Amino acid sequence: MSKTSIDSILEGRRSQPNQLIEVLQDIQEKYGYISEENMFTVSKELGMPVIDVYSVASFYKAFSLKPRGKNVITICTGTACHVRGAKLILNQASGQLGISSGEMTDDGQFTVEHVNCIGACALAPVVTENDTCHHHMTPGKLRKLIKSIQKKDTEEVANE
Amino acid sequence: MNKIKTFKELEEFRNKIINNRKNNTSTIVVCGGTGCKASRSKDVIDALKKEINQQGISESVHLRTTGCHGFCEQGPLVVIEPKNIFYCHVSPDDAEEIISKTIQNNETIERLLYIDPVTGKTIETETEVPFYKSQDRQILSQNRQVDPCSIDDYIAIGGYNALGKALLDISPQSIVQEVIDSGLRGRGGGGFPTGRKWAECREAPGNEKYVICNADEGDPGAYMDRCVLEGNPHLVLEGMIIGAWAIGANQGYIYVRNEYPLAVENVRIAVKQARDLGLLGENIFGTSFSFDIEIARGGGAFVCGESTALMASLEGRVGEPRPKDVHTVIDGLWHKPTTLNNVETWANIPNIIQKGSSFFASKGSKGSKGTKILALTGCIKNTGLVEVEMGTPIKTVVYDIGGGAPKGKNIKAVQTGGPSGGCIPVDKFDLPLDFDALYDAGSMIGSGGVVVMDENTCMVDVAKYFLNFLQDESCGKCVPCRLGVDRMLEIITEISDGRGKLEHISLLEELGETISYTALCGLGKTAANAVTSTLNYFKEEYEAHIKDKKCPAGVCQELISYSIDPENCTGCGVCLRGCPHEAITGEKKKVHSINLELCQKCGICRSECKFEAIIVN
Amino acid sequence: MIQEVTVNINGALIKAAKGTSILDAALDYGICIPHLCRVPYVEDLGACRLCIVEHVVNGRSKITTSCTLLVQEGMVVLTNTDKIRKLRRNLAELLVAEAPNSRAIQDIALRCGVRDVRYPFRNNDCVLCGRCVRVCTGKLAEKPLGFVGRGKNRRVEFPFDLRSELCNDCGRCIELCPMTMPACDGMMKPGEEHLCGNCESKLSDDDLALGYCVGCYFGEGFHCERSPN
Repeated sequence: MSKTSIDSILEGRRSQPNQLIEVLQDIQEKYGYISEENMFTVSKELGMPVIDVYSVASFYKAFSLKPRGKNVITICTGTACHVRGAKLILNQASGQLGISSGEMTDDGQFTVEHVNCIGACALAPVVTENDTCHHHMTPGKLRKLIKSIQKKDTEEVANE
Repeated sequence: MNKIKTFKELEEFRNKIINNRKNNTSTIVVCGGTGCKASRSKDVIDALKKEINQQGISESVHLRTTGCHGFCEQGPLVVIEPKNIFYCHVSPDDAEEIISKTIQNNETIERLLYIDPVTGKTIETETEVPFYKSQDRQILSQNRQVDPCSIDDYIAIGGYNALGKALLDISPQSIVQEVIDSGLRGRGGGGFPTGRKWAECREAPGNEKYVICNADEGDPGAYMDRCVLEGNPHLVLEGMIIGAWAIGANQGYIYVRNEYPLAVENVRIAVKQARDLGLLGENIFGTSFSFDIEIARGGGAFVCGESTALMASLEGRVGEPRPKDVHTVIDGLWHKPTTLNNVETWANIPNIIQKGSSFFASKGSKGSKGTKILALTGCIKNTGLVEVEMGTPIKTVVYDIGGGAPKGKNIKAVQTGGPSGGCIPVDKFDLPLDFDALYDAGSMIGSGGVVVMDENTCMVDVAKYFLNFLQDESCGKCVPCRLGVDRMLEIITEISDGRGKLEHISLLEELGETISYTALCGLGKTAANAVTSTLNYFKEEYEAHIKDKKCPAGVCQELISYSIDPENCTGCGVCLRGCPHEAITGEKKKVHSINLELCQKCGICRSECKFEAIIVN
Repeated sequence: MIQEVTVNINGALIKAAKGTSILDAALDYGICIPHLCRVPYVEDLGACRLCIVEHVVNGRSKITTSCTLLVQEGMVVLTNTDKIRKLRRNLAELLVAEAPNSRAIQDIALRCGVRDVRYPFRNNDCVLCGRCVRVCTGKLAEKPLGFVGRGKNRRVEFPFDLRSELCNDCGRCIELCPMTMPACDGMMKPGEEHLCGNCESKLSDDDLALGYCVGCYFGEGFHCERSPN
């Protein structure tokens, strides 16, 4: 990741420390995580100690300091979802993929995360897979969803 | 685009829009709110568009996509204006019939109508639906009338009239007085009198002042702000511009949480549209007043809903609250006087200016005026967004509007106010939903989340859930919150796992009291409420966990075990296939059994079994 | 001309310069308010909450930290009421349960009246008081030390092993850290932590109740200026 690739993100924001969160948001969106190298660049270009960049990047949940899997499965654990069994769905994901929330599978295919309410409470329990929102989820539905993603990915690899 | 410089120009602009639409014989309104969107309302919209074009009636039929209507359980929703025919659970396949029958021939489609669960009869129009009838939708009703990405829609229904009136007819001091007289209190949870906040900020020394809209709606189970911001962003903008004029601010910020990308997008579009028409920016309405708004995104931190943490986040720093010995109306963003209000608070302002403070104050109870939007979720039939007069009894919301619990379960309690609130047991459902009554009962209205809990909810587990949430979201700066909440969670986990002692109850109470007095910010100060209120009203459940090592609701994993009821088991094998720990064995069509040594009590089998053959011991 | 105001702390009328905190004013005068995260001449955070006092306004008491409460003419403050002592004791109990292996933390706990600890002991080597972070300046004015993470994961770190490049080796962080001196009985093994209680017998009840400064050696660990050393 050379300096030029986050140039466009830093455009118009140089020497403005208060733009830090916006800059990190854009880096997260583009690369899926905030690398050490990018943190140094941001520190230099925005004009703040690198510890401050690291502090902010490690404080907010939106930022991941490690690369994330190809498919990110986010399970909502808000109150409405909890009362309708979000824990079962979290258990299903952990059990089926063998990882806890916040971790990535060894093959880099899946990351499981939990979020404290995405605001679709009427449809609880809710699971977001990449950018699609699935509602009224059950462990069974999640099992099928994960299986279908695994199948699709294997097919893609086979076709390459 | 020509900027609007006078009241007359606004009226002319409005008349032009209405004129352009006079050929419309009907409008099809499709709810595009998050709930309906997840139910694929977009496909319904596409199908309707296609059908309208195919039948060649696009000149007289207008299709409007709106934000959330509130009746999320029944989506996708379609309303046909002008008669307001109400169709629910609409699928893309219904598009053809809707156009040919309802639009062309004025026939209603029986099977798409809502059926009243009490009378069993179908209901034709939106206003007759019991869910809507018992509400007072001062703000939410507008969601049906506007496409959030159309400033024309907003102006057509009278939008920005209040702004014109405020800038051209009323002095800033009078506006502040109107807000004080209305009795409006903060809708984000604090309930602080809005007018008083504005007055203090207006009087604070300094020329540089700010207004902020707090759209960091973090309470799990609450999505009111999301729907107002996504569905009617101009309402919020108008409120903020009026407020900025009253206080003397020239720059505003809308801080939207990271998890609401659609709200960010819609409000960005709205800001641009307002700027293009001269309703934001330099010389608004031709006056010397200039004001602009910047949108900022949150980073995924519940604590940033706290005002000083939000301001720190806006300044590009970690969202750690700071002590408020000097209030933010004097020393706020960049150390300047700042007025921070919640989305719903700002949304109430245009109505107060337009209809007057006495209209607003005519609704509600003594200490809580106006209406409040609630998010009704959990073990309830009609989940969705509801707007009621302040002071409406809880039972009206839960039973008349919510329809009671599904599957005939018994409702045990409601949890209000998010993690800072508490639980109210069913025998107290006569209590009015207002700031003071709920506070006295050990809870609070908070931002408006109402989560209904039935007999299968364990109150110890509920307290544990909220403590876990707060521990996750704590910024970690101060000792009482960082260490205290952690220890409370440790103790309650002991209780939930069957290792509780009776002394734990008094320790929880004492620790809770200490945290509430000594924590630095609101998150910490209210952290113990979940425990305190459940201990207050459901002490028997705690005692059952401690003395009898039993979980009466059958939830706490360590205290239950699962087994298969041979009478109900059909041997279908669904549980066997579903178990991620391979703890179930059995042959096809024969009674299955659970190996208790492998069973992790995750509960998945129980949720999948259609014959209720998995029993909890 | 520095403006002076008069404040009432525990009934004593004290003069202090405008801009001083109640904590500083009280300590100068000789009233002991236990504290941990305070560092003289460095901005106060109000993070440890030990220095809480009752600020009496219109007959009602508001509990707030004295390090962030600035003096104002006529202010009335109570530092040693029963309620404050109970709250302070509970906070100190939380701290010592977290990190009993430090003499300073044990001393603070004793000074705040902790006798029994009702939580299982942990053996952390940092109480996140933030003193080190706030005095660190590093080379090239590029602060190397800071807080990272949030909530339970909050910790103090040099990012990306930059210590060698940015640290001045000035040693101020070590000087101010309350964890540098082990408890009087020596380093305790995990699972064998306890309140050593040696000092308890050496103190009279008066010393602990009145809230006046006794010039005790308890202040050493957290650099109270009045301690004899």
